[in-house]
Amino acid sequence: MKYDLAIIGAGPAGYVAAKKAAGNGLKVLLVEGKKLGGVCLNEGCVPSKTLLQAAKTYHHTLHGETFGVEADEVRFNLGKAHAHKNQVMDRMRDGIAGLMKKYKVEVAFGRATLLAGPAVTVDGETHEADNVLVCTGSSPAKPPIPGIDADHVVDSSGILELPELPGRLVIVGGGVIGCEFACVFGSVGVPVTVIEALPEICPSVDPEVAVVLRKELEKKNITFRLGAKVDEIGEDEVKFTLDGETQSVPGDVVLVATGRKPNVSGLGLEDLRVDVDERGGIRVNDRGATNIPGIWAAGDVTGRAWLAHAASRMAEVVVHNLTGREDRMRYDAIPAVIYTNPEVAVVGLTKEQAEERGLKVTTGKIPMGINARYLAEHPGESGLCKVVVEEGTRRLLGVHMIGGACSEMIFGAAVMLETELREKEIEEIVFPHPTASEIIKDVFMAVR
Amino acid sequence: MATPVIMPRQGQSVESCILTEWKVAPGDQVEEGSVLAVIETDKASFDLESPVAGTVLDLFWEADDDVPVLANVTVIGDEGEDASGFRPEIETASAAPSKDSAPPPTSSASAPTSETSVPATSIGTVSSPVLAEEGSVSGVSPRARQLAMRSGIDPESLLGTGPGGRVIERDVQGALEGTPRLSASASELARERGLKPPVHGGGLSGMALASDMREPGSIDGAEVVPVKGIRKVIADRMMQSLGNTAQLTLHAAFDITAAQAFRKARKESGEPKVSLNDVISHALIHTLLRHPDLNAHFLGDRIARFEKVSLGIAVDTTRGLMVPVLSDACCLSLDNLSSGIRGLAEECREGTIQPDQLTGGTFTLTNLGLLGVDHFTPVLNVPEVAILGVGGISIRPVRGENGEVNFVDSIALSLTMDHQAIDGAPAARFLKDLVEALEIYSGDPAENEKGESSK
Repeated sequence: MKYDLAIIGAGPAGYVAAKKAAGNGLKVLLVEGKKLGGVCLNEGCVPSKTLLQAAKTYHHTLHGETFGVEADEVRFNLGKAHAHKNQVMDRMRDGIAGLMKKYKVEVAFGRATLLAGPAVTVDGETHEADNVLVCTGSSPAKPPIPGIDADHVVDSSGILELPELPGRLVIVGGGVIGCEFACVFGSVGVPVTVIEALPEICPSVDPEVAVVLRKELEKKNITFRLGAKVDEIGEDEVKFTLDGETQSVPGDVVLVATGRKPNVSGLGLEDLRVDVDERGGIRVNDRGATNIPGIWAAGDVTGRAWLAHAASRMAEVVVHNLTGREDRMRYDAIPAVIYTNPEVAVVGLTKEQAEERGLKVTTGKIPMGINARYLAEHPGESGLCKVVVEEGTRRLLGVHMIGGACSEMIFGAAVMLETELREKEIEEIVFPHPTASEIIKDVFMAVR
Repeated sequence: MATPVIMPRQGQSVESCILTEWKVAPGDQVEEGSVLAVIETDKASFDLESPVAGTVLDLFWEADDDVPVLANVTVIGDEGEDASGFRPEIETASAAPSKDSAPPPTSSASAPTSETSVPATSIGTVSSPVLAEEGSVSGVSPRARQLAMRSGIDPESLLGTGPGGRVIERDVQGALEGTPRLSASASELARERGLKPPVHGGGLSGMALASDMREPGSIDGAEVVPVKGIRKVIADRMMQSLGNTAQLTLHAAFDITAAQAFRKARKESGEPKVSLNDVISHALIHTLLRHPDLNAHFLGDRIARFEKVSLGIAVDTTRGLMVPVLSDACCLSLDNLSSGIRGLAEECREGTIQPDQLTGGTFTLTNLGLLGVDHFTPVLNVPEVAILGVGGISIRPVRGENGEVNFVDSIALSLTMDHQAIDGAPAARFLKDLVEALEIYSGDPAENEKGESSK
């Protein structure tokens, strides 16, 4: 049977594309090598968020005195947290399977290889398709550090399966993943050391936000060693160089979270001469098309954005272009969140990025503490909201927040960016009171 | 005392000039001789200088307007002085309405408005539709206006397809279908800078974003420049040439040994240097005198064969190709021919050439040899019936007297002729004579002619 669209990879790009394409009447084959939902559902976003919520609940219970909630002998049971995590994942996987069934998407499990034509073989069986969408995602990158293959060294997938809490956790890499797991384990009482090569954590977010995040995390049993280069992972310690001196930090579990790399090997891309860029991602245009007609790519495998929701959107763009709807991928208003406690949520350009583009900008920032709802719910926490505005036009270019559960309100800023709203339009939008989201409106009073 | 500045007459045949750029703005102080504007005829560009010192009171035209010669373009006077009396009675559809000085609305498109203008400055020779007055409703149907108002678009900006170019409802509907929704920032750019959205914007569901907004007529990934001035003239002339003539190009080459020996001997005797191009021009002119069929204009129902040769020289300038003419070139010595060609080329490059020096050619010479071109097919400079293209120096094998092969430096000549006016064989004979004249070139064409006739 010939398919209209064969999709390799059932992560947030693949299953979204499958549902959308099938919903538009295309005959769709979805091939998955592991489990429906991809890294996002099985080894990434979803399980890490359940553990973060577990840690946050423990933390709030332990520190509820401000609200008059007093509790003794509060314990953290990792086994029960894992059970909840697994239940969530099972339920979401069932949900995807149900969706695929409902939309009559053919699902095949096995290793897929691309053939010219195009066609896809799955465990020896060949399926022809007019179009193939490659969305095989990414895997943790493994830096060449001596000792990295030891049993007590885990990556972002392995750490989700730890049977018990580490005595001391060392995290190599102070990026988004490193900070989230530092928050999980630090919040439940595990001493955590994060070793970061750069002078500040989370280089992808606004520098002022990164500083607030680091200081908040330092309140949760987490120590940061910035500007440090890891030399070796030993049995019970990690050696690193800081300011020219060799130092070490003890740890019985080491998480290596130094980035991810696109999954491009073993797919037959080389034989088809599909173009791969210098960073190892499949090169696509703004419609998701590769250099080979009929072969498309979306998500982490393109080496861009590295976000599940960006992957879904990229997949949607491909399907729109396959079904006659003009659509192009835009990267300028994709929100990014660090699900630590407090959360970081950003969208759009930082001041530095805007200036690199030659824009003249002005910024404004206010502490989250001026917001009644935030103050009521997050005593003792620091947060801030910062906006980047184009000079002259007063067009909003970026919103950068840390505090509480700000991930839930960043979409509002994304809408403002997508519609290129200016200060004077935003002024006219009514925000519900009291909500933390009001900070997005109030921050403009600080813009000079 | 206000002094009007007029568009000068640039040569007998020039009726109007393009005002390409203003160098001053109203209120600027200028000296006598200050450059006010850059103007361009179809062949050259010039600076318009101020005849007096004073304040620029008003500019009557916009950049890129085609201004009739002798029309007032600006007024220089004392600050605060009223200059409206000097405003020419402009009759053009494209000029923007001017609130402060335009005549009051007229009831009919052709009604004279001389009451409000000074007769001395009115231009009667330019004819085009009358400028639409601001607020005028004559060009938009009420239904179209209503729909346009509801949809937030300016009906005056649309191209009407109704009777007499009237904007009707379907024009507004068409504009709406081809216009995406604009983001808040994009609509500001449309309103304040006149930028236009693409049919499909890059934002949400095709919404046009600020970054999508383009100058009208722009093309993505390209720098778009209007075709005007000299470029427009060249474009028109080239199409006119290729569309109305039967062009055929003949190629030949000449051995440059004699020409080079002549140049070397001149140099050694201390005479001024002449270029190979000068030598070719010199031989060309004298060969043309013996072939009047080639020194001619084809005028459709008649052919004009000229007694004298006025040689057009193709000159590459930053503003485009220009062809200055060396009048009566046949009467000039080699030295004067050489300096004449050099002088004309310099004037073209500096933009100081007079329009009258750009007309009247009987035959044109074009040389791409220095740019590494061997052969090419020159395009006729109509109504001339022939043009000679000169290529670069290349090595060519020739058979010697004893059958041996020798290599000589040679230059290719490409003669394009109008087959309407002349046949291939006579053109080939001309080219053969020219090659021979160049191969025995001695600086004295009379010698050549003698030599040839004795063959």
